[in-house]
Amino acid sequence: MNNTFVIFRKELLDVRRNKFLLLLLTFTLLAVLVSILVSALDFRVKIYAYNKYVSALHSAGSTTVPAPPQLFPLQLLRGSIEYLEILGALFSIVLGYGMIAKEKQKATLGLIFTRPIGRYQFAAGKILALAWTWFLAVLTIFAVVTAVVAIIGNSPLHAIDLYRLLITAGLSWIYLLLWSALAMGLASYTRELGISLVASIVLWLSVVLILPQIGDTMDPDNQVPGGLFNSLQISKKNEVAVLANFAGFDKVRNGIEVSSITKHYERSTFAYLGIKDKFNQKPVSFAFSGTLPNLLSLIFGFFGVILFAILITTRKRLLRR
Amino acid sequence: MENVAIRATGLAKAYGEKQALHPLDLTINSGEIFGLLGHNGAGKTTTVNLLTTLLEPSAGSLEVAGFDGSRQASDLRRAIGYLPENVQFYDNLSTMENLHFFARLSGIVKPESRIREVLKYLNFTGHDNERLGSFSKGMRQRVGIAQAILHQPKVLFLDEPTSGLDPVGVRELRDVIVSLNRDLGMTIFMNTHLLAEVSKTCTSIGVLRQGQLVYHDTLNSTLLSFPSEESLEEIYLQIDTAKTT
Amino acid sequence: MSIVLIAARQEIKSLRREKLAQALLIVFVGMVSLSSFIGWLTKKNVTAIWQKVKYQGLTTAPNPFANVPDLYYLRNTVIYLVLIGALLAIVLGVASILRDRKAHTADLILTRPIDSRSYLLGKLMGIGLWLTTILGFVTLISWMSIALIIGKALAFGDSLHLVAFFAMSLIFLLGFVLLGMICALYSSRETNALLLPISLWSIITFVLPQLGTADHPVSLLNPVPAIANQGGAFSILNSVFSPLSTTEQFKKASSSILGNPDFIGSPTVGITVLALALMVGTFVLLTSKRDRLRRTLDE
Repeated sequence: MNNTFVIFRKELLDVRRNKFLLLLLTFTLLAVLVSILVSALDFRVKIYAYNKYVSALHSAGSTTVPAPPQLFPLQLLRGSIEYLEILGALFSIVLGYGMIAKEKQKATLGLIFTRPIGRYQFAAGKILALAWTWFLAVLTIFAVVTAVVAIIGNSPLHAIDLYRLLITAGLSWIYLLLWSALAMGLASYTRELGISLVASIVLWLSVVLILPQIGDTMDPDNQVPGGLFNSLQISKKNEVAVLANFAGFDKVRNGIEVSSITKHYERSTFAYLGIKDKFNQKPVSFAFSGTLPNLLSLIFGFFGVILFAILITTRKRLLRR
Repeated sequence: MENVAIRATGLAKAYGEKQALHPLDLTINSGEIFGLLGHNGAGKTTTVNLLTTLLEPSAGSLEVAGFDGSRQASDLRRAIGYLPENVQFYDNLSTMENLHFFARLSGIVKPESRIREVLKYLNFTGHDNERLGSFSKGMRQRVGIAQAILHQPKVLFLDEPTSGLDPVGVRELRDVIVSLNRDLGMTIFMNTHLLAEVSKTCTSIGVLRQGQLVYHDTLNSTLLSFPSEESLEEIYLQIDTAKTT
Repeated sequence: MSIVLIAARQEIKSLRREKLAQALLIVFVGMVSLSSFIGWLTKKNVTAIWQKVKYQGLTTAPNPFANVPDLYYLRNTVIYLVLIGALLAIVLGVASILRDRKAHTADLILTRPIDSRSYLLGKLMGIGLWLTTILGFVTLISWMSIALIIGKALAFGDSLHLVAFFAMSLIFLLGFVLLGMICALYSSRETNALLLPISLWSIITFVLPQLGTADHPVSLLNPVPAIANQGGAFSILNSVFSPLSTTEQFKKASSSILGNPDFIGSPTVGITVLALALMVGTFVLLTSKRDRLRRTLDE
């Protein structure tokens, strides 16, 4: 236990001094903020267009008052979550890979493993450091996000909104730590560092970008700008009834999507934040029951990867030639 | 009880079909400064890696400082210090921070005063808070030795310790090795190419050739056994070539 | 043989051993091969949905895919070029420079009577030739898969458009090769050399378009563009940021060349932006100081 803490402390010191890593995390934060600001601006433009439309209606003598667009502050976070999905995962890989790469490149493994260090203490210390680093990063990001959303929404967030944000932050921590642990495990597993970097980047590309993109592309509603069923002027109720006849295709499409851990993260967080209309303004328990399979997949995936990283990052593996 | 610091019995290492080290029988007594000589690829680093438990042997057994390599590995590691060839550290951390880390891993609680003591002994003060990224080779080597002796090991393993050092650095290192042996009674196992240094530092030598120990004796006996040779270099060349005929 | 050609030949030989490039290449060719099939499957499904709703009297709108051009099936290929192709190009560029820096072979090269600019140009050319071969192969696969789907050979005009599309893709990808090479020349660490251009790629692909259209990052990977917000400040933001996003320009120009009915416009602006990016990148590369190639990496 003691050596675990020694390694943990040293890693934190290293991370604090790693300027490039700090730059990457700052970049992620900026991307997240830009997304919120752009979404807020988008809403403003819609409000402006709406007011102009109502004004034009009144000038034409109409008494109809169409429903105004509504701002749900947490929905502004859609793009931000997507940046965490894509960029956050990539930078997580960098952090996790770097944990082992620097030891192999500097040959400090010889200095460490000629000391009396327990079988899993090295891995545990590294994983703890990754966990703490991501905890601080996620805390910072979501603290800033909460403040910005409150300011933009022009009203304080309610306790329930803060609760939703807390849940989302927790899920983000799980997602980011998962990728770091995976990259760390792969760097330990392979003899050559280059191969683990290849594997990590290809996995990132496939799981984070390609699989969700295929699923998205195969969604019939995404085939026409503005939505297929909108363009055919079909109501939501009828849309659901029609799609029930194409369950086979949707099963395949959905199957492709849920083979990606990123999709589980996305579906869970979108539900808690009310980004999808189905979950908007619904209780947290509704989001929970609606996305329980996604949550379970994320959690099982997380523990599976952590276990892999700990079991594979041993003296025998790391020192083998 | 025997005063044996290192005992290897049939110690061997193979990588697939390639035999990096043929079964090695080697005994080094406490208090010796042993120099292991050999050409590039002879198996010197493999031998050190086996004795420091960085590698698992394919055959045979080893005992260092009285601890069995397979059953008492943890105790063995507490009793040894190791300086690899071209030692590297965490460039983002300072001297003190690097040494603090390695000292803690060796089981030293609150090692700050011990670190200062060792750095003073090695005549390397005034660099505690400097980051190692800016250090020269000689400076790194000092820090390397410091981390190897912080926990007062009984046996010190040095892999090509003079590699890349200038003549002043080589002499300073020699003085350190001799004083560690003399003042602290440390047994020293050293891989090296520099025969001139071996003749000034070591009390016994061994010669490895293509993974086999072809010679082992005290330095004095060696010099006496080859009276016609003028230098250790000539003795070594004779030993090295003798086995090929 | 000129230095440029010697360097190009050496580059092509080395590329065959780059593991990450090989892995990305496999993913790229695999996805492009699948892309026509995915397009066909989706079109079949949407047509079936339309037929169902029409039969049930729920709509009188025409089938949105009634008259899609044959090159419609390449829509996903555009996205895979933006995603996988651009990353592959970055990796090739980074690997090309890091190879010399890590092995310190620059010392052996630059102590010979050669112009470092010719050497770098040769590397770029080598990568360009390699990419041309890959894109040629991918053009053939695309042509064959579309012919299989529509049940006949592509018309001559469509075939020319197909070739034009992949020729433009080469210009697009070379821009990212240059990005990779420049980042690798100026980075002090190996990991940074790869991460920096990937971060820049993400800015170009996601952040800049989002600034101009309010589109979310994931929706930018859909071959069917969302209805962009063009009102208010976005019309200004779009005109400022859109030209800087080579990926958006590539997508628009591709839509035009491939005859996408959702896009009205000429590919000229897009191709001009891509060509400009290529020229600027080449200029930056060739004006780099000679000793950049010799600088030791920190890791």
